[in-house]
Amino acid sequence: MKALLKKSASLLLTLGIVSSLVACSTDSSGGAQGESNGKIKLTLWDQSVGNTDPSAKLLPEIVEKWNSEHPDIQVERTGTTGEQYKTKVKTSIAAGEAPDLFYGMGGGSFIQPYIKSGNVLEISSYLTDDIKERMGPGMAEAINMDGKIYTLPVYTHIANLYVNTELFEQAGAKIPTTYNELLDAIEKLKAAGITPAVIGEKDRWPGMYWYDIIAMRQAGNAAVMEAFKDPSKWDSPDFVAAATKIQQLAQAGAFNSSMFSMSYDEMLGAFNAGNGAMMFQANWVNAGIEDPSSAVKGKVKVIPFPVFEDGKGTNTEIFGGAVDGFYINQNTKHPKEAVEFLMYLSEQLGTQGFLAGAGLPSWKTDALDTSSLSSLDLSAADIMKTATSFIAWWDNILPAESAEAHKNLIAQLLAGDVTPEEFCKQMAQLKPTELSL
Amino acid sequence: MNSVFSNKGTIAVFVLPTLILFCGIVLIPIFVSSYYSLLDWNGVGRGTFIGLDNYVEMFKDTRVLNSIKNSLLFAGASVFIQLPISLVLALILASNVKGEGFYRTVYFIPVLISTVVIAQLWSKIYNADYGLLNVLLQNIGLAHWAQDWLGQKHTALAASFIPTLWQYVGYHMLLMYAGAKSVSQDVLEAARMDGASRIRTAWSIMIPLMKPILKVSLVFSVIGAFKVFDLIYVLTGGGPFYTTEVPSTLMYATIFDTFRYGYGSAISVFIIVECLVCTILINSLFKTE
Repeated sequence: MKALLKKSASLLLTLGIVSSLVACSTDSSGGAQGESNGKIKLTLWDQSVGNTDPSAKLLPEIVEKWNSEHPDIQVERTGTTGEQYKTKVKTSIAAGEAPDLFYGMGGGSFIQPYIKSGNVLEISSYLTDDIKERMGPGMAEAINMDGKIYTLPVYTHIANLYVNTELFEQAGAKIPTTYNELLDAIEKLKAAGITPAVIGEKDRWPGMYWYDIIAMRQAGNAAVMEAFKDPSKWDSPDFVAAATKIQQLAQAGAFNSSMFSMSYDEMLGAFNAGNGAMMFQANWVNAGIEDPSSAVKGKVKVIPFPVFEDGKGTNTEIFGGAVDGFYINQNTKHPKEAVEFLMYLSEQLGTQGFLAGAGLPSWKTDALDTSSLSSLDLSAADIMKTATSFIAWWDNILPAESAEAHKNLIAQLLAGDVTPEEFCKQMAQLKPTELSL
Repeated sequence: MNSVFSNKGTIAVFVLPTLILFCGIVLIPIFVSSYYSLLDWNGVGRGTFIGLDNYVEMFKDTRVLNSIKNSLLFAGASVFIQLPISLVLALILASNVKGEGFYRTVYFIPVLISTVVIAQLWSKIYNADYGLLNVLLQNIGLAHWAQDWLGQKHTALAASFIPTLWQYVGYHMLLMYAGAKSVSQDVLEAARMDGASRIRTAWSIMIPLMKPILKVSLVFSVIGAFKVFDLIYVLTGGGPFYTTEVPSTLMYATIFDTFRYGYGSAISVFIIVECLVCTILINSLFKTE
């Protein structure tokens, strides 16, 4: 008996050493919905904390204004940065400790499982025609998920090619509008000792953006949407051609040789320091480029991604249009008040944020004075006006596991580890999207 | 006082709070994880019970096997590179060198700095465009060696081991230094009288007498290698192409990027078992009596 006790005691101790691994902290602040002296308290989580993120400044202001105007409904906000934010929300929803309102990525792969499992409040019945009237064109459809509405739009983001005009001039290169001009520009930039384009492929999604737009230019948006529903179509000549093109670009030295160790943030840093002539990104990078600390302020132009001579896509087919918004926890104790705040927040942030350069508006902005906007914001808005179709970020459209596979495959393609044919064969193994496109 | 501590009831009262905490935040999560590892579960909604399928899949998954291989390599590097360096430093430091306190502090500094900071520091050192390492190589005429250390398959793994090895050298050195200092001066004096050289003294007297502390260091460094996470996560995120992936980063990616809580839990259970087995193994190898 004593020996057994001794043995189990030593086992317990050993477990103790080992298991600091499993130690995790529980955040008790989530889901706190205390009511003190008749006041309603709502909690809000978002990911707007960055230095050059205009929303990070606006959000607290909007919340404060709401709080002062609604003494009975007080909102408490917590901001967490990017990837950690996703993890935090996922964990808290799984643990049933989610806040009343939380920010959700547009598209689907992030929020879809939670909508399916009934963790997100459906707000269709609260929406009046008046509110739908105030939203931008197409937005009511964009937030519609199989006839139900869970969120209100805030911003729209679209991806375009950012070119550093100073470096282009220095190299004597022409700003590309077609694929051959792009190759030509790459050659001239390289000859002048300039890195043609920067990719932060350590995070894998910046490289994905390049393949995705190339595939959309090659096959056209309609064919891409078909392939999302029927993955076997990924293995077709158009997508092989797209994969060949991105590999051709990589082999031509279009991208920084350090791309596999460069993160997204470092990529922005490199571009803003003038260490790359091109970057393919969404308009959330505008504020950073226009920041006083940026060395390329005022020297950058935003243009639609070049079209291909042999491609079916046009430059009015847009990569992006993702509508990001806030979602309400199904288990909130005050659904009515939460929806009320959601409407206020979405419209305020959507319009004021547009004026601050945080993103393109999802609300009508006719009455707004846009003179404060940078030329980047204005040209992005102009590009969006020409849109004939939108496809959002592929890693949000694909189911989570397929999205990871997609990103990894593109990294291999960029490194020359798979041939375009193998790439397409593997793409055909992905799962179809669960979203209604 | 003695009578207080010989009373089993008193001991129980003193131990109980810690025991409850330990069970609550350590033991129970382990059992819960073990249960999750038997599910096919996306983290929300209901999981389906699939028995040991996750484990079966794990040992067929080349990505998992590769990550296990990496962690074994890492453990090997810790034991055969980091610990010998620590031991040599500890023995030198314990032999009454000048500036003992200064060196002791300097070598211990990296241990105090957060791993994330260390990882950021080293990722700047390794940076292909402006990194210290490449600049250094260029300046000593080895420009053709300069490369993207963390971005290439053949260099990434070694490059991501070095910072942790470096970081914890001071930690093990301090443990061993304490062990070396506790060796009785009488024994050392007797050895000196017999004409034993310094190396001979270290090899035949110090190291055998330091056995218990060496065992502790060995356990710590092996387990530390098996559960390394933050450094790899910040430095490479497991990339490029999984070459630096270890079980803990893979577990994180599985759970939070692909929503496979069950499969991720199976990996975490594997890590625990791996550490447990190693600890028991090392303990039995070093059995003194």
